[in-house]
Amino acid sequence: MTDKHIEMHGVRKSYRFFTLDDLSLDLAPGEVMGFVGPNGAGKSTTLRLAMGLVAPDAGEIRVLGQPMPAASAIAKREVGYVSADMHLLPNATLGWHMDFVKSIYPGWDAGYAAALVKRFNLRPGQNARSLSLGERIKAVLLLTLARRPRLLVLDEPTTGLDPVARHEVITEFMDVLHDDSRSILFSSHNTVDVERISDRITFIDRGRLVESSNKEDFLDRWRRIQLQLPEGAALPALPDLVSRNQDGRFVTLVTDQFSDGFAALLAPHVREVQRMSLEEIFVANVMRHREVRGS
Amino acid sequence: MNTVIRKLIAKELHVNRLLVGIGVVAGIGSTVVAAFGPVGFNIGALTWLSTIIGMGVILSLYGIMNERKEHALEFVMSLPLSVAGYVRAKMIGLVLCFFITWSVSVAAALVLVFAKDSVPDGIAPYLLLLSVFMLANFGVVLGGTMLARNEGTTTAIVIITNMGVTLFMFIVAPMRGIREFMWATAPVWNSTFWAVLGCELAVLVISLTLPLLIVARRRDFL
Repeated sequence: MTDKHIEMHGVRKSYRFFTLDDLSLDLAPGEVMGFVGPNGAGKSTTLRLAMGLVAPDAGEIRVLGQPMPAASAIAKREVGYVSADMHLLPNATLGWHMDFVKSIYPGWDAGYAAALVKRFNLRPGQNARSLSLGERIKAVLLLTLARRPRLLVLDEPTTGLDPVARHEVITEFMDVLHDDSRSILFSSHNTVDVERISDRITFIDRGRLVESSNKEDFLDRWRRIQLQLPEGAALPALPDLVSRNQDGRFVTLVTDQFSDGFAALLAPHVREVQRMSLEEIFVANVMRHREVRGS
Repeated sequence: MNTVIRKLIAKELHVNRLLVGIGVVAGIGSTVVAAFGPVGFNIGALTWLSTIIGMGVILSLYGIMNERKEHALEFVMSLPLSVAGYVRAKMIGLVLCFFITWSVSVAAALVLVFAKDSVPDGIAPYLLLLSVFMLANFGVVLGGTMLARNEGTTTAIVIITNMGVTLFMFIVAPMRGIREFMWATAPVWNSTFWAVLGCELAVLVISLTLPLLIVARRRDFL
């Protein structure tokens, strides 16, 4: 019996024009994994596989120790799933939805639900059909968070939200993290949101996992280095270069293995060493991955 | 049957309550209208038929297709429920919604037949066969909509089943065992009646069972 909240090994899922291939990842209790990829990278497919909404063609998936999709009904008792596309039942009010979900989940936290209604400025009497985009996402989140799930699977939950609504939603996620036994798998192409709440980040592109690592590790390892070479000088052979752009004597290098030793190799020529944002790391990583795969 | 399935069945009754209420009122109202002379009978009979057929189509399209189109299905499937559980809850919930309108409308029509002297009681078996045919027809629309992956297929199923009602009238009404006793003073429950009823019930059972066997085994539900 494993204590991982999500385990995927060698998962493959093929569609006519897209294949998610050889995906392996795991999520430990208390961990927040930001799942980052461009549009069409396979983020939603991965999350739907985790929720048992689609079955893999190959590989193994376990969520909270349960095999998916075979035991999805059992696993989903303790999983909260939210996607940006998700709508409530159009002919019912938010209040009805709250009563409905409460009647299914014994762990429903009525006090927390009431607090979220207030914090998100929602009206329980409002019909689901008349909710704006922001209200709809907040309503779905309310219905999910008040169940107090052990695992939250969030498929681009902040897409389309204005900055204030995004702040409110992200703050609630951070609140969830006060409890070490809960975990979040959070997909997005908004790296700012991911960087804010994740402690582990996984990049995916064109159906393949590019890299998965600790957030701090990513931010520590990746650097952009600007050099000015003397006239006629050549760069020494450098390991672990992700990219290199040269314009006359000015060179810009990107490395994913920055260290003091690396800097020492270039010391006399270095003009500036810059930390990279998660977005820059993501783009550089994806571009390298595509180059390596020859596409 | 687990709690989630029971709650989802209750959910169907809740979200469709207005539609079911309108159907019940229309079913009874059309029967009342049918009691007032030949013109009233024609108008009432047409409204009665349209109510039952329309109810079946609206429930299937609204309850299944719209839920998918409007992404409310993702919300439902986020609940602790398997695909098989969802299909079972949806089928039972919508059949119950339809059954309320259908049974009240059929009961009202039978009351009209037996209470009104100008309408021969012998028409009751034909009325029952027509009613059960529409129930089976609903089963086909419901099962077909559940199995269909696109709107085009669902539309085709609706058109074909609607034509089926007319075909039923053309084929079953002239049957010897039906036609000969339609104007009798008392209903005749002969072998022709039972054979047609058996066929209708078989279609109903198959159409409601197939989605449970097929959809529940699909590898990609959403």
